[in-house]
Amino acid sequence: MIPLLATAPAYGLPSYLFVSALLFAIGFFGVLLRKNTLVIYMCLELMLLASTLALVAFSKFNGTLDGNVFVFFILTIAAAEVAVGLAIIVALFRKRHTVQVEELNQLKH
Amino acid sequence: MLQHAILILLLPLASAVVIALFLRKQGAIASWLSTGVAGAIAAISIILLQHGERFESSVEWLRFGTFSVSLGIKYDDLAALMLFIVGFVGFLIHLFSLGYMHDDQARARFFGGLSIFMFSMIGIVLADNLFMIFIFWELVGFSSWLLINHYHEKQSAADASKKAFIVNRVGDFGFLLGIIMCYWANGTVNFTELGQNHVFSTAVPLLLFCGAMGKSAQMPLQVWLPDAMEGPTPVSALIHAATMVAAGIFMLCRINVLMVPQALEVIMWIGTVTAVYAALCAIVQRDIKKVLAYSTLSQLGYMVAAFGLGSIALEHGEHKMVIAAGVGAAMFHLTTHAFFKALMFLGSGSVIHGCHHEQDIFKMGGLRKKMPITFVTFSIGVLAIIGFPWLAGFFSKDAILYLAMEKNTAVFAVLAFTAVLTSFYMVRLWKITFLGEARSDEAKHAHESGLVMTLPLIILAVLSIFGATGWFGLGLYPKLAGSIAGLIPEAHGAAHTTILLVSLAVMTIGGGAALFFYKSAATDTLEEKFRFGFSMLTGLKESFDKVYDYYVAKVQQRFAMVLNFLEQIVLAGAIIRGLAGFAGLVGYGARAFYTGSLQAYAYWFLLGAALLWAYAAGIF
Repeated sequence: MIPLLATAPAYGLPSYLFVSALLFAIGFFGVLLRKNTLVIYMCLELMLLASTLALVAFSKFNGTLDGNVFVFFILTIAAAEVAVGLAIIVALFRKRHTVQVEELNQLKH
Repeated sequence: MLQHAILILLLPLASAVVIALFLRKQGAIASWLSTGVAGAIAAISIILLQHGERFESSVEWLRFGTFSVSLGIKYDDLAALMLFIVGFVGFLIHLFSLGYMHDDQARARFFGGLSIFMFSMIGIVLADNLFMIFIFWELVGFSSWLLINHYHEKQSAADASKKAFIVNRVGDFGFLLGIIMCYWANGTVNFTELGQNHVFSTAVPLLLFCGAMGKSAQMPLQVWLPDAMEGPTPVSALIHAATMVAAGIFMLCRINVLMVPQALEVIMWIGTVTAVYAALCAIVQRDIKKVLAYSTLSQLGYMVAAFGLGSIALEHGEHKMVIAAGVGAAMFHLTTHAFFKALMFLGSGSVIHGCHHEQDIFKMGGLRKKMPITFVTFSIGVLAIIGFPWLAGFFSKDAILYLAMEKNTAVFAVLAFTAVLTSFYMVRLWKITFLGEARSDEAKHAHESGLVMTLPLIILAVLSIFGATGWFGLGLYPKLAGSIAGLIPEAHGAAHTTILLVSLAVMTIGGGAALFFYKSAATDTLEEKFRFGFSMLTGLKESFDKVYDYYVAKVQQRFAMVLNFLEQIVLAGAIIRGLAGFAGLVGYGARAFYTGSLQAYAYWFLLGAALLWAYAAGIF
């Protein structure tokens, strides 16, 4: 197997995973606590990126391409998903004139 | 020839379908179509007879594993004879209906009903197995219901049709059990295969006889037939006198091979008791059609009794052979009865039509001069049924009486007494209706019916005169009777003289008594002079209805109410409402999860993910 990088990285795998976990946590609590749909949406994207960071790190430290391949797919799908998601939010705003989640509660029992 | 048989079966069905789909408002076209088809049926049945070929053929219809139901046609001597009666008498009655029902609003429905009846009846006649017979058996029940109910805005007609249907259901339940048991015991219900090989059993023929008991109105299921007279008179003639009620006798003859002595004994006594009971009831009836209805019941009892008397041994010189004389005598009487009873019913129809729908004989009188053709033909019918020498009924009744004399003296005595009663009530009916002076405005203004109604009467009158002699002497239709003619018991020597004397004696005693006893008056002479006997007979007639009413109202209705209560509590209350309530409660709980807050859903998601992870990690 051919090593991807000749030189050893300055920080170890745990450091990368820690950053990834931190990003995921920020995103997660953002989803749980923020009230603006757009911000919640950005937080969701943050969680997605946290997972891609972890995958890239795994790929590098294991010396395989699998993680990188995953990331390519995730980026592609994320692009499409952003387009759809933002469109929904815009449509929602046009219809309801608000994007605050506490006012979007029509599915209540 | 098979094509002819299929054609004769499907033609009336096609007619009924066309009338039901396209001609409901065109009464005139519908009536001509139906009558034309009936004429074609009569013509084809005669062509089949002329050709003389006998055949059978069947196709598989349904198969469930090893059990299969087939549809087939069995055209043997029995079917040939019956098909001729149904086709020919059916055509004449269609013709009569053209006149009788001319002013009816629902003519198309009436003639459509006649066509569907012809289809069903021919199906019974041609069926080659019991399952197929059962299908058409139910179809004639349906068409009978439809036609009794023709004047459905009349409550009594609606009730009568319901009664006929329900009483027949009781008999048909036994019939169906018999068919299933026959299949279970023999592995087949095909008549030919049963004839070759079958298991001897008393239960099978008796259960099958239940079907005949319902359809041919034998004791104790006879109650529906007199009420069925609520239908139009041609229907009474076709269905409730000449053909459908005779289907029970026909079916018995079909399954003759299955009979065992014990079963025959039961059948014989039921027929005998029905014959005498109905004859007693007929004496006190005021309605012209009711008299004829009880007379039909009585004659059907005669046929059933004749069938039950079974076979006799004949000695031809050295040879000794056993012939199924019961079948011969029953079918012989069925044939002649179809002619003269259809004649009398159509005659009564002509009288009712002429008297502007008056049916009470005590309000008629003096119709002899006003309706000469009806009078003459009706008189021939009366003479035929009371057994006037050399008329149709004379031969067929003598055949039955001779058979009874040979086999069972008690039955012979009862049947001879019934013959006395028959002459008595028929002459009473005849005298009060036609002789004397007109006793009401309707009768005063009576008029003879048109040719379309009198022509069938004349043809049937001719058949009532020569219908029986053709079997023996003239050889008019040897092909018609076929092997059945050979089965008719004939008396010889001293027995012949005895039977002849008995026959003449009963006719003279009964007829003479009625002729001298009854006056052509507006009241019943019997009711005036022998009030006690009269009320006894009336009570006898009503006793069955009273018992059934009591049973339905007091026993069955109470039982149904108990069942209804249990159903409300257990089934509807506990099971259905209980289960629904439980599901509702679960729903109330589950609704709490749907808060409408997006973040709450995210928490639920987190909780779910945590649980899933814990499960995957093997924590619980």
